Amino acid sequence: MRSVKAIFVKQAKDMTKNFSVLIMFVIFPLVAFGMTHFVARGNDDIADTMFTTMMAGIFVGMALIQSACTIIAEDREKKSLRFLVIAGVKPLAYLLGIGGVIFVASLLSSLAFGYIGGFNRNEFVAFMVVMMSGAVASIILGATIGIYAKNQQAATGLSMPIAVILGFSPMIAQFNERIEILARFVYTQQINVVVNDFSAGLTQPLVVIWLNIAVLAVLFIAAYAKKGLRS
Amino acid sequence: MIKMDGIVKKFGTQTVLSDVSFEAKQGEIFGLLGRSGAGKTTIINILTNQLKPDSGSHKISVSSYETGLMLDEDGLYDRLTCLDNLHVFADIYGIPHKNSSEVLEKVGLENAAKKAVSQLSKGMRQRLALARAILHKPKVLFLDEPTSGLDPNTAQGIHKLIQGLQKQGTTIFLTTHNMDEAVKLCNHVLLLHKGKIVEQGIPTEICERHNATKTVPDLEAVFIKMTGEGLS
Ligand SMILES: Nc1ncnc2c1ncn2[C@@H]1O[C@H](COP(=O)(O)OP(=O)(O)OP(=O)(O)O)[C@@H](O)[C@H]1O
Ligand SMILES: [Mg+2]
Repeated sequence: MRSVKAIFVKQAKDMTKNFSVLIMFVIFPLVAFGMTHFVARGNDDIADTMFTTMMAGIFVGMALIQSACTIIAEDREKKSLRFLVIAGVKPLAYLLGIGGVIFVASLLSSLAFGYIGGFNRNEFVAFMVVMMSGAVASIILGATIGIYAKNQQAATGLSMPIAVILGFSPMIAQFNERIEILARFVYTQQINVVVNDFSAGLTQPLVVIWLNIAVLAVLFIAAYAKKGLRS
Repeated sequence: MIKMDGIVKKFGTQTVLSDVSFEAKQGEIFGLLGRSGAGKTTIINILTNQLKPDSGSHKISVSSYETGLMLDEDGLYDRLTCLDNLHVFADIYGIPHKNSSEVLEKVGLENAAKKAVSQLSKGMRQRLALARAILHKPKVLFLDEPTSGLDPNTAQGIHKLIQGLQKQGTTIFLTTHNMDEAVKLCNHVLLLHKGKIVEQGIPTEICERHNATKTVPDLEAVFIKMTGEGLS
């Protein structure tokens, strides 16, 4: 517990100074805000919430994977992680500390999205639940890639295509039926399903998202067993 | 205090350590001397349980909590300040934050406390890494080339710190490829060449044994005699 807190504090301080990570938590809500106000509001053919849901989906599916992955890969590459391990920090404590900060940061970004989207109360709650469930999935996936990759560069190389596929598959799915069927099993698509039509209900999407989380957790444990946190 | 017995380590087909045995006593500065690639870091990694040997045994008679470590890569958090870097470990060990400031002062970095690590010089980074290693007052301290790449003045400062720690009873295990450093600092040295111990003992005695005392004890001469090669 002491270690979790130590890592959480370290990561929170680091995040405020790590521009390339921080920007991802700011830029997506900012773009959503701009597009909603200057494009969607003035155009009757575009739903007011369209850009919010689009950007929120890309944010969860892409930005979160990228940040979890680069943070862990950097700690490994610079051998910082080694000193933590030697000081007796357990892997789970490390991941909870790092993941915790990303989770809180995505909570703040999601609140911003929720506000920009102008949802009603029930929609807002559903939006937050589904966003934060997706965040958990993306953080685990990012951490898995971060552990697996040799170094930071390799981590970006690995996570970029995965993040792009996950982040953009809901958009592509709109134009292609086959992809849409495949995408149904992927958590990012389910986030989109919920935020595009709140009346459809939360149960089924949440089941899919949490099944995704279970699968990702297994992948993560496998990566961890194979590679460990040591560099 | 620190003991290795018949350690063998292979990486693939390359034998990096063959039959390494020694014992470092409590309160000593124990020096491991050898050229690049001799296996010095590998020995530290084995002693600190970061690597498993293929055979042989090793033991440190204090818990892992009571050991401090400075490696060839410092692993410092570049974006955090010096003080914040130390606080991370103070939090992990559950020791008060004022210890971080005290130890910064000890290594002469009190004026850089609020500076980001990325803005430090190499010597300052080295001293901060040392500060982190001694933050929890370990009984055994491992230092992997603590002065490599530093100018003589900065190295001198680190030597003083190491001697100060010894006076307080810390056992220090250090590696170096600097003979003068070894003669000046160490109570006991071990000359390692291509993974084999070629000589060990008290520096001045080793030199006498090999008639290598000209005006000052000359470990380098011993090394060349034993291996047929210079140090650099
Ligand atoms: N993880 C590894 N995989 C394969 N070979 C390794 C590994 N680590 C070290 N070696 C090899 O083992 C030998 C000893 O390496 P080691 O790092 O212990 O040397 P060293 O004495 O610390 O050298 P230096 O003074 O350059 O730090 C070298 O030939 C090195 O190439
Ligand atoms: Mg080395």
